[in-house]
Amino acid sequence: MHATTADRSRPASRKYLISAAAWVVPGAGHLWLGRRQKGLTFLIALTLMFVTGLWLEGRLFPFELTQPLVLLAAFADLGIGLPYFVAKLLGHGGGRVVAITYEYGNAFAIVAGLLNMLVVLDAYDIAEGRK
Amino acid sequence: MTTHVGLMVLFSLFVSIVFATMMRDEPAAQLRLGARMFAGFVGAGILIGWLLYPLPL
Repeated sequence: MHATTADRSRPASRKYLISAAAWVVPGAGHLWLGRRQKGLTFLIALTLMFVTGLWLEGRLFPFELTQPLVLLAAFADLGIGLPYFVAKLLGHGGGRVVAITYEYGNAFAIVAGLLNMLVVLDAYDIAEGRK
Repeated sequence: MTTHVGLMVLFSLFVSIVFATMMRDEPAAQLRLGARMFAGFVGAGILIGWLLYPLPL
């Protein structure tokens, strides 16, 4: 799909708003831009991946400034947007280190967040008219 | 389901779906690329698993 004239003429503030929406709700940026199939696919796949990470007893890492790797993992977790805050609010994501699936859970939650960051960039590119 | 292979397959499925959806616009092309990526991820995972098998823990 190619960029339309309307895509190119979007004001900068709207592009950032679309990017913010894409971060808060996975796929929302694409839905906003009329890419319904892509948006719904991202919404379902990324949310499910993040929830699977929590189900596998993965941890939502804290923002620990003294431990750079933990800090990076915390930023990656945060990449999923709203589901992260909902999980925190409901008391999920404490992680159980002795669980056999703990590391798998971490991988699912972290990668779901990182993939959503890519989806945000993709939504921005579409809004910018590059795609 | 929570075996190493089962989780590797599930992980590959999620990643393939997201990348294929992002990189292609037409559903048929997404399906083709997603299937190829999924097969590649699972195949590479099994291959690397076997290559690591002789190594001591």
